[in-house]
Amino acid sequence: MHPHAEALIQSRRNFLATSANGVGLLALASLLRDDGQLTAADSSPLAVRPPHFAPKAKNCICIYLEGAPSQIDLFDPKPKLNEMHGQKLPESFTKNVRFAFLQKDTAAVLGCKRTWKKYGRGGMDLSDLLPHLGTVADDVCLVRSMHTEAFNHHPGQLLMNTGSTMFGRPSMGSWLTYGLGSESRNLPGYVVLNAGRGTSGGTSNWGSGFLPSSHAGVLFRNQGEPVLNLNNPAGLSAAMQAKTIEAVKDLNGVRNAQVGDPEVNSRIAAYELAYQMQSAAPELIDLTKEDRKTLDAYGLDRPEPEIKAARGGGKGEFRAFAANCLLARRLVERGVRFVSLFHASWDHHSNLDVELPHNCLMADQPVAALVRDLKQRGLLDSTLVLWLSEFGRTPLGENRDGRSDVTGRDHHPFCFSIWAAGGGIKGGQVVGKTDEFGWNVVEDPIHINDLHATVLHLFGLDHLKLTYKFQGRDFRLTDVGGKVVKKLLA
Amino acid sequence: MPVPRSLPALSLSAIAVAAAFAADPAKPDAAKLPPPAAGKIDFDRDVRPILAAHCFKCHGPEKQKGGLRLDDRKAALQGGNGGAVIFPGTSADSRLVHAVAGTDPDAKMPPEGPSLSAGQVGQLRAWIDQGAGYGTQAGPQSAGPAKSTHWAFQPIRRPAVPVTRDPKTSSHVRNSVDSFVLARLEKEGLNPSPEADRATLLRRVSLDLTGLPPPPAEVDAFLADAAPDAYEKVVDRLLASPHYGERWGRHWLDSARYADSDGYEKDTGRPFAWRYRDWMIGALNADLPFDRFTTDQLAGDLLPDATVDQKIATGFHRNTLTNKEGGVDQEEFRVAACVDRVNTTGKVWLGLTVGCAQCHDHKYDPISQREFYQLFAFFNSDRELDIDAPLASEREQFQARQAAFDAEKAKLRVAVEEARVKKLPAAELAKREKAQAAHAQKAPTPAKAMTLAAGPPRPTHVMLRGDFLRKGVEVKPGTLAVLHKPAAGGTRLDLARWLTSQDNPLTARVTVNWVWAKYFGRGLVSTPEDFGTQGDKPTHPELLDWLASEFKDPAPTPPSFPGKGVGGAGSERNPSPGPSPKKGGEEDSDSAPPSFPGKGVGGSGSEKGIGSGAWSLKRLHKLIVTSATYRQSSAVTPDLIARDPLNVLLARQSRLRLEAEIVRDEALAASGLLTRTVGGPSVRPPQPPGISELTYANSVRWVESTGPDRYKRGLYIWFQRTSPYPMLMTFDGPDSNVCVVRRERSNTPLQALALLNDAVFVECAQALAKRVLAEMKDAPAGARADLMFRLCLGREPAGKERDRLLKLVGEFRELAAANPAEAAKLVGQYKVEGVAPAEAAAWVALGRTLLNLDEFVTRE
Repeated sequence: MHPHAEALIQSRRNFLATSANGVGLLALASLLRDDGQLTAADSSPLAVRPPHFAPKAKNCICIYLEGAPSQIDLFDPKPKLNEMHGQKLPESFTKNVRFAFLQKDTAAVLGCKRTWKKYGRGGMDLSDLLPHLGTVADDVCLVRSMHTEAFNHHPGQLLMNTGSTMFGRPSMGSWLTYGLGSESRNLPGYVVLNAGRGTSGGTSNWGSGFLPSSHAGVLFRNQGEPVLNLNNPAGLSAAMQAKTIEAVKDLNGVRNAQVGDPEVNSRIAAYELAYQMQSAAPELIDLTKEDRKTLDAYGLDRPEPEIKAARGGGKGEFRAFAANCLLARRLVERGVRFVSLFHASWDHHSNLDVELPHNCLMADQPVAALVRDLKQRGLLDSTLVLWLSEFGRTPLGENRDGRSDVTGRDHHPFCFSIWAAGGGIKGGQVVGKTDEFGWNVVEDPIHINDLHATVLHLFGLDHLKLTYKFQGRDFRLTDVGGKVVKKLLA
Repeated sequence: MPVPRSLPALSLSAIAVAAAFAADPAKPDAAKLPPPAAGKIDFDRDVRPILAAHCFKCHGPEKQKGGLRLDDRKAALQGGNGGAVIFPGTSADSRLVHAVAGTDPDAKMPPEGPSLSAGQVGQLRAWIDQGAGYGTQAGPQSAGPAKSTHWAFQPIRRPAVPVTRDPKTSSHVRNSVDSFVLARLEKEGLNPSPEADRATLLRRVSLDLTGLPPPPAEVDAFLADAAPDAYEKVVDRLLASPHYGERWGRHWLDSARYADSDGYEKDTGRPFAWRYRDWMIGALNADLPFDRFTTDQLAGDLLPDATVDQKIATGFHRNTLTNKEGGVDQEEFRVAACVDRVNTTGKVWLGLTVGCAQCHDHKYDPISQREFYQLFAFFNSDRELDIDAPLASEREQFQARQAAFDAEKAKLRVAVEEARVKKLPAAELAKREKAQAAHAQKAPTPAKAMTLAAGPPRPTHVMLRGDFLRKGVEVKPGTLAVLHKPAAGGTRLDLARWLTSQDNPLTARVTVNWVWAKYFGRGLVSTPEDFGTQGDKPTHPELLDWLASEFKDPAPTPPSFPGKGVGGAGSERNPSPGPSPKKGGEEDSDSAPPSFPGKGVGGSGSEKGIGSGAWSLKRLHKLIVTSATYRQSSAVTPDLIARDPLNVLLARQSRLRLEAEIVRDEALAASGLLTRTVGGPSVRPPQPPGISELTYANSVRWVESTGPDRYKRGLYIWFQRTSPYPMLMTFDGPDSNVCVVRRERSNTPLQALALLNDAVFVECAQALAKRVLAEMKDAPAGARADLMFRLCLGREPAGKERDRLLKLVGEFRELAAANPAEAAKLVGQYKVEGVAPAEAAAWVALGRTLLNLDEFVTRE
């Protein structure tokens, strides 16, 4: 850049960053961009950047059901399994296949206890555990032909969330804020909400990997202090905080007059955003302004049945999950680019017919309400809603060593189901087919890298061009694979 | 690099097959092959032209992709990484034929360009069926070792120190480092910056060498010391401080991907991982030469008469992840740990992305996939072992307990034998046996440590596409052909000696560059993790090589230091660990004695703590921090930013945001809360609620440390891989899953919130206020503000700054006085006798403001 231009930017930065009403980092970035002066290196990491081509989606809500919900009992009916219940599968299916727990010499088909119904104009088959989802079937694209190579939870979650089973890669939300920046003025661009207990992947599921940490998902809580360290210490009043922020700005300015370091201005802007977040985040999680109808639609105050199970997150999950769905909409309304909702666990190695209905009772209504609510508010067209997990479950019952009864299913990487809605997705259709046993994909196989390529495409990003150079190599979300799945697009 | 999961050409069934039958690739269908050509084949006439046109580019004298070479009969019949591809006499079984015919779903050849015609495939079939003979033409050149012209693979030659011409700037030269930097600046027509003011310089060098800010008394002493060697004395003092080992130890822990838990789903704790950390702090403080530092960590267990300490050092490669998730294939994760050991070794010592060759030959650097598995073979037979490693403090006691245990054991055994021999009643025998069994449970258990040990030999195979289930050809341990003379043998010890050989062109360059980058925010090679062809070239290649030479093979006489002798250059070539050093600073009074058997966590190499021989890190540090280049001001003009925004040319110092741990250490030090004890088990300072609950099944309990442990330095904070201490992550601490040699430095609102409101920082503000009020009971506000400012920033406030602080404290007083009950809350447990809560609260708020200044979190 020409020295004069740099000096001009410098002085403008100083002006903006020190002006009394604090225009703020993002406004600063946009002003500079309007000047045509801003290059990637100058800009804040979260400044809004244009996509590669016209996007359909602007925001994403990613609902992640950790543990692998059984596709056979929810999305992909296999009457053949009931016919074959208790029988063995042909050896060709299990030969050379590794399982997490299943003893394949004695494993037998486990039939499905669910009943099925067709929903929407396309007649989408969904099990009796998802009646609410059925009511928005015309907006949902159900994919039955996902496959992966990971069959343990943590590597599987890394693959679905970051595109690789290896550690240290940025998650999908990080790539999106890296590619497009954040449009929220007073909230982070990538927010994570969790209901119940933690996921086995932990923070690596929303980490920024080798991207700057400003692209990492920021964990929000749905009650109490919504963001870590958001509340001022006890006894420090709002007026004192205002004086503090002002003084920090002034004193940083005095120092910067001597050292001339542009980073000082970035820090001043970061304090401004932090200060704004202190009022924006509590306002965000305050649901008292939502009307009763909305709260009931999401099912915030539904009764939560007692359950005898060790796997779930314990009492209070129903409300937390429903609140998170509603918060997801509120976050999108406020310009947050990527919202991740996590819930664990759907890892039903046993007790499937008790715990899966319980989990679905929790998730089905709020998730459907979210899709409908977004649509009613005109947000669904630009908001991609995803329902994901790391793999599927076996048609064979799990006969783990030392367990006498067979009441669950093992991990199954060769096929599983996910769904997507809004944001340029063609709703009301089912994509992909599995064989009659629900073992392998027989039509339209979609690898996780393909799904990621498609998500980026919806956001106007070419997955081959959205790269970050690290350790001598251009990395991308889709690793070394990925192709856009045209069938999913509206 | 990762496994290419599906070639674009693969059909759906192939994907399913590849996934389901990975261990046993589907056998290609011979019926689909074109028939063999009729007639007698002449290799030179019929076959060589086909191979030359389609194959030799990748499988010839230049390259042997997939380990396969086709221009030489012997090599061709040996095959590639996946085994033989030609079976003379049976072309239908030969993978070569299926690959070129397109009937092998795993390999279609050639991958680009026109495919072979059916006629050509038929020719190849006939050639193989007739015995795959090679022609009469002269055979190809033997491959020989790989050669490369890439700069980093060339031997290190000590360059002559340049002579700078301009007398105006020549006076700037303090040591040879400056001569190299100035030569470049002269070429660019730039002048170096003047020396930083003394207070800034002292804070800089203190933070860089010990990670702790200089207390006001040290600042005063330095400002008052007019001796020409005042700065050098400070450097010597800091290098001798036990906190040096902590500061540089934390840098090394990034490389060692140190953590206190297993990682993955279960993420079980590792209660004695810290033993490795203690060893490392002690080794750095003792200035253990880097070649020995290397050998102990890679192969300490294999040294003759290996000590317990050397075995603890080998815990370096026990910091890999362990997956205890139910249902995992243990072999898969054993292999993953070995892969990580190869990758980490490659990155830390060689600065190479060897991991890119795990699945295929390296795309850019001359590292074949086969070589990756040759490196892998050095680690493949290792066992993970937890050993008894009594602490110095418990050693005597343990020996006594062990002796008592053994004596009792012998007594009980005799009693049992007696009962048997004398045929005492069954009840009596049973009683004695029971006593014997009960005693066996009471064996004294000393502290443990994690290490590696050579296990029974395990053959190593190339893993096709990096998949541990797909075994290719067997390989033996071996080093990289593109570098210097191969390792002398196949053990980790041989590997360590190869890495630290004087002929190794990378280890010294990579290490001095790593050190340099910590001081300037950017390496002479700006990609410290990649010295390969995709990495950046050095900005000052001669300086890099000169430093590398000085490091591994110092000049017999100290390098020229015009005006300033290097000092401390003793005569011991390999300094033996000395006694604990003198107190590192006025506030070191509570430094605990080292818990490091034999060597001492705080031990230092020579009287001044600086080794003089080959591979001395302390000597390297001193060389850099005494240079004028290092001592420059970091202030920058718009002009210079325009010329050199990234400070590549070093016409100034760089302002660097401090690392996560150091930000916290500094706040604790300023407030007087810091516990300066060196070494010991990991601690759990307060962390916000709801963090550990996010781990799997909420299994990790964060039990807050009490007493002095709450205030130990950041490098001692328990690192739980699936729920790391949030403040560390907010300030770009590494996740400790993989080796990191360069940290990010971001600048985010979450950092602001942490400094403003995290319980640890709030407590620091409270303690800081109490400290100032107690020390300056009846002093005017100006003096109090000055002290607080000096405690945080190590300098006097300027007039403007003091005015602003006084205005602020006035505002805080007013606001606090309006609500004394709230004010008392802000003061918390740090009340000061005789000071009204509203007054104390105003100073807490002021302290909090100072801890949030940009300068506070920045090394200027």
